[in-house]
Amino acid sequence: MSDKKTVQPTGLSRREFLRAAGIAAGAVAAAPLLSACGPFVGGRATGPVKIGILLPYSDIYAVLGESITAAMEMYFEEVGNEAGGRKIELIKEDTEIKPDVAQQKARKLVEQDEVDLVAGIVSSGVLLALRDYFDANKKLLICANAGANPISRDRKTPYIWRTSFSNWQPNWPTGKWAAENVGKRAFISVPDYAAGENTITAFAHSFVNAGGEVIGVQRTPFPNMGDPAPFMAEIADANPDLVYAFYSGGAAVTFVKAYADFGLAGKIPLLSSGFMVEEDVLPAQGEAALGVRSGLHWALLLDNETNKRFRKAYKERTGREPNVFAVQGYDTARVIVEMLNKVEGDTSNVDKMIEVLPDIQFDSPRGPFKFDAKSQNPSQHIYLREVREVDGELHNVIIEDMGEITDPGDNSKDLQV
Amino acid sequence: METFIIQLLNGLVFSMLLFTMAAGLSLIFGQMDVINLAHGSFYLLGGYIGLTMVRRLNNFWLALVVAPLLVGALGLVLEYFFLRRLYGRHRHLDQVLFTFGLALIAADLIRWYWGAYVESVPPPDLLSGQVPVFAVQFPIYRLSLIGVGVALALFLWLLIERTRIGAIIRAGVADAEMVSALGIDVHKVFAGVFALGVALAALAGVLGSPVLNLYPGLDFEILILTLVVVVVGGLGTLKGAFFGSLLIGMADTFGKAFLPEFTLFLIFAVMAVVLLLRPSGLFGLEGA
Repeated sequence: MSDKKTVQPTGLSRREFLRAAGIAAGAVAAAPLLSACGPFVGGRATGPVKIGILLPYSDIYAVLGESITAAMEMYFEEVGNEAGGRKIELIKEDTEIKPDVAQQKARKLVEQDEVDLVAGIVSSGVLLALRDYFDANKKLLICANAGANPISRDRKTPYIWRTSFSNWQPNWPTGKWAAENVGKRAFISVPDYAAGENTITAFAHSFVNAGGEVIGVQRTPFPNMGDPAPFMAEIADANPDLVYAFYSGGAAVTFVKAYADFGLAGKIPLLSSGFMVEEDVLPAQGEAALGVRSGLHWALLLDNETNKRFRKAYKERTGREPNVFAVQGYDTARVIVEMLNKVEGDTSNVDKMIEVLPDIQFDSPRGPFKFDAKSQNPSQHIYLREVREVDGELHNVIIEDMGEITDPGDNSKDLQV
Repeated sequence: METFIIQLLNGLVFSMLLFTMAAGLSLIFGQMDVINLAHGSFYLLGGYIGLTMVRRLNNFWLALVVAPLLVGALGLVLEYFFLRRLYGRHRHLDQVLFTFGLALIAADLIRWYWGAYVESVPPPDLLSGQVPVFAVQFPIYRLSLIGVGVALALFLWLLIERTRIGAIIRAGVADAEMVSALGIDVHKVFAGVFALGVALAALAGVLGSPVLNLYPGLDFEILILTLVVVVVGGLGTLKGAFFGSLLIGMADTFGKAFLPEFTLFLIFAVMAVVLLLRPSGLFGLEGA
């Protein structure tokens, strides 16, 4: 808006523009005042419940963040964006996969936006870095993915509850299954960070107890593996009965494709925790993923009504098949809604919110959802799945239900190798 | 010993892939004195255009030609409207700011159009499959990258050192005013070099996509790798880019084979040592 120009190409008159700008400025200035006195009528909050969302929307885990968000918003919409008599308002922040960035964003949400609770977190490293902040500030964090074992064990805090899994959960039953059904000499390949270590110790414990032997471990650069060729040469050289791996996102595609490129697929069986061949990466992996077997708490083809409904709705909304991360996002939203209903929208007392969490149960796309109060983490069935071609598309077909698995709550079922 | 030879081969493949990535960056710096921080973005854009072409037309070879042409044309446009205003001896900061801004915008646009999912490109049928090298089934596509890297190095060397165009380019850097005085349009020469450098980045994007796949964030990964290569080799010399690629490619491969926990550290350690011993890189010009 230049003073010298009289032409108004937008058709908006100067007077109208000024008036609009004035109203906007007034609204912005008044907003803090309104929110300061608005929500409390008779000592009870009636304004929207503010939920801070901490997820990666960039870097290699961007798709995970997107999937969780899409499914969360889908559930909130299903219940009319309302719980416990209050509207639900989401404030999203990008954590990337950097613990330091996540800490800044957590502070911003809690101290500046004054959110009632926080949900999200994809990377185990980020979760561990945020643990002390939520513990010290007595702020509730519902973790929608990151499976760092210590959060259910020696680093447990009343303020962090997980709707996803502990890293131990999918790997431990798969180790036993591998020793009994595939072979006794295993080579392990994982990214060099917290989740990778959790994978090794959980798999090794049950694998060795079932008579197996871990003949080699490789820890690859995280988050970017770069050229995977040297790792393939090392695996070929070790010539094990089976390879057990854990990769997610971009690294999952790089690893699985290189495994096939170097002729290892079909020669040395590849097993993994299910994230490596989930629906988000399967299309890019293509035939390279055929025959990969993995343990996970969900599968696209899992046969239950909630899952069928969820799959259809998610596909209509996003144009893509859901993945396990979306399921966790959906369940996270549901847990939050059930919790808010139980406390009748009163978020002023964090202890009251925590108190109702263990009683929350419902039918999830993964089957019955329930918390284990000791590990503050779901107690859930783990399925052994195999990538097969189904109606011209690649999907994980369930071969065996390995039973309900609960995190032990300590390191008694882990083995250092 | 056998494993050592296999890893040597892996190192050679990755080195040559690095060279195709770094050649364009080195060319633009060496011949135009411009630091192009959007190099990784042109790589990624080339890769994604290649992906779309392979999906629609199922022709990798055509993608190999068309993606560099399209991205090169984009380079011409960017040079004409923006970069041209930023030439000069003391304007590196302006160039860095402009190209970095470009990289951020490109990252968002690419993600908006192609999405955040990891995408992969199959190698052409002719080059898929493996040949046995000792106990390892070595992918033919990877082996062919060695040939591509060497051919590209030879082509660029001949172009710059042995042709009239190359002579004009070299003269343009040394003394632009004198070259103008001889009746040659220096602007056109610079525009051409920029387009070529950017097209090379796109070519590398197509070549690299069957090996490293495509995903958001790869642009900055590639940028950092190529910057390391170019700094180690000596800023702006083709020979430097070639031997810098070899050194970094080998360090990365053998680092992963023997000290996987220290791979990233190792690359930068190599860079630090080279710079301590030779501050302008392996083949850098003194005072560059």
